Amino acid sequence: MRGKAARPSRRPWQKPRKLKSNTDAIDLNSLIGHSRITPYILSGPAIIAVSLLLALPVVYAAWGSLFNAEFFGAPPEFAGIQNYINLFTDPDFLWSMSRSAIFILGCLIVGTVLALTFAFALNRAAKRMRFFRAVTIAPYLVSGVAAAVMFKLLFNQDFGQVNQLIEVFGLEGLPWFANPTFAMIVVILAQVWTDLPLSILILLGGLQTIDPSYIDAAKVDGATGWSRAWYVSIPLIAPQLAISTVWLSYGTLTSLGVVLALTGGGPQRATQTLPIELYQTVFVRLETHQALAIVVVVLVLNALLTLGYVRMSRRYDVAR
Amino acid sequence: MSVPLALLVLWTLVPMLITLSISFKSRGEVFSAPALLPPNPTLDAYREVLARSGFRGAAINSLIVGMGTAALTLALAVPAAYAFARFRFRGRHLLLLFTLLPRLIPSLGLMVPYYRFAVALGALDNRLTLVVAFTGTLLPVSVWLLVGFFQQIPREIEEAANVDGTNMFKRIRYIVLPLTVPALITIGLLAFREAWNEFNLVLALTRTPGKRTLPYELWLMQDSTGFANYPAEAAFAVLTLVPFILVYMRIERYVVGGITAGATK
Repeated sequence: MRGKAARPSRRPWQKPRKLKSNTDAIDLNSLIGHSRITPYILSGPAIIAVSLLLALPVVYAAWGSLFNAEFFGAPPEFAGIQNYINLFTDPDFLWSMSRSAIFILGCLIVGTVLALTFAFALNRAAKRMRFFRAVTIAPYLVSGVAAAVMFKLLFNQDFGQVNQLIEVFGLEGLPWFANPTFAMIVVILAQVWTDLPLSILILLGGLQTIDPSYIDAAKVDGATGWSRAWYVSIPLIAPQLAISTVWLSYGTLTSLGVVLALTGGGPQRATQTLPIELYQTVFVRLETHQALAIVVVVLVLNALLTLGYVRMSRRYDVAR
Repeated sequence: MSVPLALLVLWTLVPMLITLSISFKSRGEVFSAPALLPPNPTLDAYREVLARSGFRGAAINSLIVGMGTAALTLALAVPAAYAFARFRFRGRHLLLLFTLLPRLIPSLGLMVPYYRFAVALGALDNRLTLVVAFTGTLLPVSVWLLVGFFQQIPREIEEAANVDGTNMFKRIRYIVLPLTVPALITIGLLAFREAWNEFNLVLALTRTPGKRTLPYELWLMQDSTGFANYPAEAAFAVLTLVPFILVYMRIERYVVGGITAGATK
C-alpha cells in the first residue's frame, strides 16, 4: 500500500501516533488515492465559501456600522459608536423594538400552545398518520409572501371567511387591517402558520421518545388526560420545548416577508417590526451605515437567543 | 378523528383552500359570491397571471436559481462532508461551528452586506449571484446533515473496496453516494425550497423587472395594483406552490427530513 511508503517520510522527532481506539487503527489517510492534503482539498471549497459568504458579511456589518456618510454616496467617515447612539435615542427604532417584542411574544404563546396541542393529537393518532403528517408540514413549502397573501384573503374585511364566520353569529365583521391591535393579531397568526410545522415535528419527536411506562404509571395513579399531559409529558419534553421556543423566536425575529407583504408595517406603524425598520432604513431611506448598525443589533439579539438555546438544551441533557 | 386533529387539518388547509377557491372566481364574484365553492369556476385569473411577463420571467428565474442552488450546494457539501466524516485533520472542529452558523446568521442579517458587496462587484440582478448567496446560507446545514449520513456507512465497506484497488473518487461514486440517495434528495429539496421561497436576499440583490424570483414578484404584484385583483393574487400564490404540489406525496418524507435538519439537534 502507498501508506507504507508514506510512513517513513514522517519527521523522525515526531512520535508515532498513538492509536486511540479500534476504528482509529485503520488510518483512512493511507487508503488508495489519499494523501495528507486530501481532506483539505475536499473540504476547502466549502470552508472558503462559508467564510466568504457567512463570516465576512458579519465582519463587514460590524465594521461598516462604525462609519457614517454625510449623504448617500459620500465617502464614509469613521463615526465610532455614533450609529448605535442614534439608534437607541431614536424613538422610531425603539418603537420597532417594542413591536418586535410584542410580535415575538405573541408568536411564542400562540405557536407553543398550538404546536403542543397538535403534537399531542398527532402522537395519539394511530390511523392515517401519513396523511396527517403530510397536512402538518404543508405550510413549510409555502413562502412567507404567499402565506401573507393567503391570510390577507382569509381576513379580508369584505369577503374574508373569518368575517363571514363572525357575521354568522350576528356580529359585525372586524376591520382586521385597519385596526392596530387586530393587524398585529393577523400578522402573528400568519407568522405562526409558516413556522409551526417544524415546532410540531420537534415536539412530536419528543413525545414519541417518552417511555410509555411513565404514562402507564400515571394512569394507574388515576391521573386524567390533562394532568398526565401537564405533569408527566410536558416536563419530559422540556428540551424539545426549548428548541421549539428558540425556533419560533428566531423565525419571528428575522421575519421580513410575511409582515412586509401582509401589512407593510401599518396601520399606524403598529406592525413596524425590526426587520421592517431595517428594510426601510436601507432601501427606502438609503442610510446604509445606520442599517448596518441595525443588522448588528439583530445579529446580537439572535445570538443571545441561540446561545440561550444551547445552554438550555445542554442543561436538560445533563438532567436527563 | 379527535377535535385537535380536526383543528390541525383546518388550521393548515383553510388558508390554502380559500386561496385556491378565490383563484377560480372572477373579480366580481369574490365579493358577490363569498361561498367557498366558486359558482362559475373560471381559469381567467390563471390566464391573466401566466400572461404577465413578470410572472413568466420570475418563474424561469426561480426554477434556474432553485436548481442551481441545489446543484452547487451538493457539489460543495458532498466532498466536504466526506472529509469531515472520514478523515482526521486539522479543521475538523469547524464542523461544530457549522451546526451553529445558520442559526447565528439569518438571511435578514446578510441582506445589507450582500447588497453592498453586490453593488461593489457589479453583481446585482444576476442569477449566479442569487445561487451563490443562497448556497452560502445552506452549506453549513447540508454539510452537517450529510456527515451524519456518511458516518452511518460502515468503514469496512470502503476498506474492502480499497483492498480491491478502488480509489477514493470511485468509492464515493459507487459506494457512498448510492447509499445516501435519500439524504442527497433531502438536501437537494431543502436547497431548492429555500431558493424558491427566499425573499430577503432577492429583495436585496435584484432591482430590475425580469431578474427577480417569484416571492418578490408576488409581493410587488399586490403592492402595485392600486385596485386589488384578488383572484390573480390568489392564482399567483397557488402557482408558486405548483412544483411542490405535483410531487407532494412523493417528497413528503424528504420534506420532514429537511425540516428537522434545519433546526433540531
